[in-house]
Amino acid sequence: MQEYVTLTIDGAKVRAPHETSVLDAALNYNICIPHLCHLQGITPLGACRLCIVEVVKDGKSKVTASCTLEVEEGMVIRAHTEKIIRARKNIAEMLVAEAPNSRAMQDIAVRCGVKKVRYPFRNENCVLCGRCVRVCSEIWQSKSLGFVGRGNHRHVALPFDKRPESCKRCNYCIDICPMTITPCPGPIKKGNEALCALCESQLSMAHNIVDSCVDCRLGEGFNCARKVSVNTI
Amino acid sequence: MLKLQSVREFKAFQVKRAEKEERLTTVILSSGTCGQAGGSLNIAEAFKKELKNRRLAKKIRLRITGCHGFCEQEPLLVIEPENIFYCRIKPKDVPEIVSGTLKQNKIIDRLLYSDPASKKKVAYERDIPFYKAQDRAVLGQNKLVDPCDINDYIAIGGYSALIKALTSMQPEEVIEEIKKSGLRGRGGGGFPTGMKWEFCRRAEGRPKYVVCNADEGDPGAYMDRSVLEGNPHAIIEGMLIGAYAIGAEHGYIYVRNEYPLAVEHSKIAIQQAEELGLIGENILGTDFSFDIKIARGGGAFICGESSALMASLAGLVGEPRPKDIHTTERGFMDLPTNLNNVETWANVPAIINNGASWFASKGTAASKGTKIFALTGKIRNTGLVEVPMGITLREIIYNIGGGGSNGKKIKAVQTGGPSGGCLPERLFHLPVDFEALTEAGSMVGSGGMVVMDEATCMVDVAKYFLKFLIDESCGKCVPCRIGLSRMLEIINDITEGKGTEEKLALLEDTAQTVALASLCALGKTAPNPVLSTIKYFRPEYEAHIEKKKCPAGVCRQLIHYSIDKTKCKSCGACFRACPHNAILVKAKIYNIIDENCQKCGICKEACKFQAVAVS
Repeated sequence: MQEYVTLTIDGAKVRAPHETSVLDAALNYNICIPHLCHLQGITPLGACRLCIVEVVKDGKSKVTASCTLEVEEGMVIRAHTEKIIRARKNIAEMLVAEAPNSRAMQDIAVRCGVKKVRYPFRNENCVLCGRCVRVCSEIWQSKSLGFVGRGNHRHVALPFDKRPESCKRCNYCIDICPMTITPCPGPIKKGNEALCALCESQLSMAHNIVDSCVDCRLGEGFNCARKVSVNTI
Repeated sequence: MLKLQSVREFKAFQVKRAEKEERLTTVILSSGTCGQAGGSLNIAEAFKKELKNRRLAKKIRLRITGCHGFCEQEPLLVIEPENIFYCRIKPKDVPEIVSGTLKQNKIIDRLLYSDPASKKKVAYERDIPFYKAQDRAVLGQNKLVDPCDINDYIAIGGYSALIKALTSMQPEEVIEEIKKSGLRGRGGGGFPTGMKWEFCRRAEGRPKYVVCNADEGDPGAYMDRSVLEGNPHAIIEGMLIGAYAIGAEHGYIYVRNEYPLAVEHSKIAIQQAEELGLIGENILGTDFSFDIKIARGGGAFICGESSALMASLAGLVGEPRPKDIHTTERGFMDLPTNLNNVETWANVPAIINNGASWFASKGTAASKGTKIFALTGKIRNTGLVEVPMGITLREIIYNIGGGGSNGKKIKAVQTGGPSGGCLPERLFHLPVDFEALTEAGSMVGSGGMVVMDEATCMVDVAKYFLKFLIDESCGKCVPCRIGLSRMLEIINDITEGKGTEEKLALLEDTAQTVALASLCALGKTAPNPVLSTIKYFRPEYEAHIEKKKCPAGVCRQLIHYSIDKTKCKSCGACFRACPHNAILVKAKIYNIIDENCQKCGICKEACKFQAVAVS
């Protein structure tokens, strides 16, 4: 029999099986915590840091990513405090400035309340969410992709830049890449980058009811984990 | 060497070593990495030759030890038992030292240390102000032992703490003793060591590991290197005691490959301890077994972080993982692992030997014992200093460090390495303890202290540390990778005169996000240099932004060189020195051509009359 624990997320009592992550537990209860690098069923990486939450313990709060945090009995999570919302907005702003040519980034920016991008756009596409690397090695056991380099030089590459035999061209890496869907107005050329914000109307519901997840279309750009779990159930 | 089979054999061996040690006159030559860079190896050769020629080799012992800490005066030597201190010696001084001091007890005046404050020569090491104000519980052992000879360490009572723990204490009692002593992690985190050991002891899973973190990478910090180079057996003994308390079977010393001498010395030390039977199966006839291996780091700063270090140790990419589950539960190979810094391990034997109350008697309420700091930058006495916790910054910088070099006024001190903060002169009354410095926006960190004077631009300092951290960030999480590069972008704009008020606000915003949301401690503390300089030196940032001026005259885009005609003596030194043909001479009047000037400052250095002005 599966063991369940009870925890509180933003005041709501939530039950989740042992060893699930706080993010999955929240999404199953329609509590929206923005996320990007997380995919259900594969090892969490904790790279995008959009899903940060505050864990309250003994009167002290600690900020950590909810995708890598396992549920515990009696845990108290605050996913939408002012501090968290501000940091999340800033991270979304960095992401959209890095890769404006992706619907996922644009949607996440809108969802996190970015109204203006204060950084100069870079339009560099890959934000190193590591989804491709992880599905390739974990779902297909192929390990054809990996991270190469450190810091600013970090990038995703094939071993020695050659397609290995283990790669079966299944294209799953492309399917789950958040960069493959262009923003609704179409591809943005270098120099014309902007926040498209067309999806803002989607937000009315989410804005009125704090942190509710309404199965919105914002997640379509990046296989929102909520959508995946709804489809599979 | 004979393998010791029991505790009794060890004690007899120790007594024999101690007796042998007493009688000889000893020349102690400081020869750590810094000493060797100063030429101590040549001096050692000269001594050996001279002692052999004069047939003194049996009467006088030459002990080549690790660093003594006073790096400014290297190479230096101490003659015991007289305690005579000679500094900045050269190989050609050696015959004179042997014939004069060693044979006739004459003190050679010109080799003595002269105190810059009182202008007096100081003959004895104990009278030197630099040493006088310190409490060298850990570092002091460096000059007593030859790191390549285990007999030295045993002669001064080494490994007796291990014997004490093995024969008269239960593992829980050892942990209790460390807990009572109040020892906290010396690597930067300041986590109570006793508690960490207890967590690891309670954690499930076998085998357990203890690891020594010697992957020290902070710019300007070299405490761990000196201890590992100068006294590796203290660390091995500390690890043995820790392993006994935790119930660990295997140990690793993770040392960066850029410290070849430390790698070499710890290798020799482990080998000698193994030969004597102090490491291995059934140590000294007890049922405690433990082995230590050396792992060399590949040169990544991030591998000093516990989870990254353990990944690197296991042969994986050295990247941190989220630490919601501590490494004491799931560390190296997903097994319970206790990681402590070099200095923490080195403190353990003394605590077991002298008792927890001895250690707890030093320091403040929450930070006990002594801490080693690496004093560098624009300070007179650069070197390693060991002081009790709770001493003020002012005491360290002025009493021990001797104040600013070249008599310039000290403006700030950067504590805690690249992720620490800059504290201004008006906060020098702060005690050096974990809480007080963290509250002020800096940290004790691993113990780097970089002193800055008026000629340092604080924006430039923040830029330097930011650049270092961008190079060393692993790039895994967004706030650290993208956030830091955005911060550098803004700071670069500010130093080039393209800064605005909004950009400064954005810089602060980004810094706060990076500090809050990053995955590991590197990211979480990376904005400290920026945040603390903005907090304490905001006027400097504003001068860069509003007036487009760099008050310290460092940021090239914002400064302007000119020649003061009233001071210029038309000597032509600047004209000859300028590599860019930027100085124009017309009828003996010198002028700088702005278009050609690269702002290198060579003319300013060349001018003897201070006629080249920077504005």
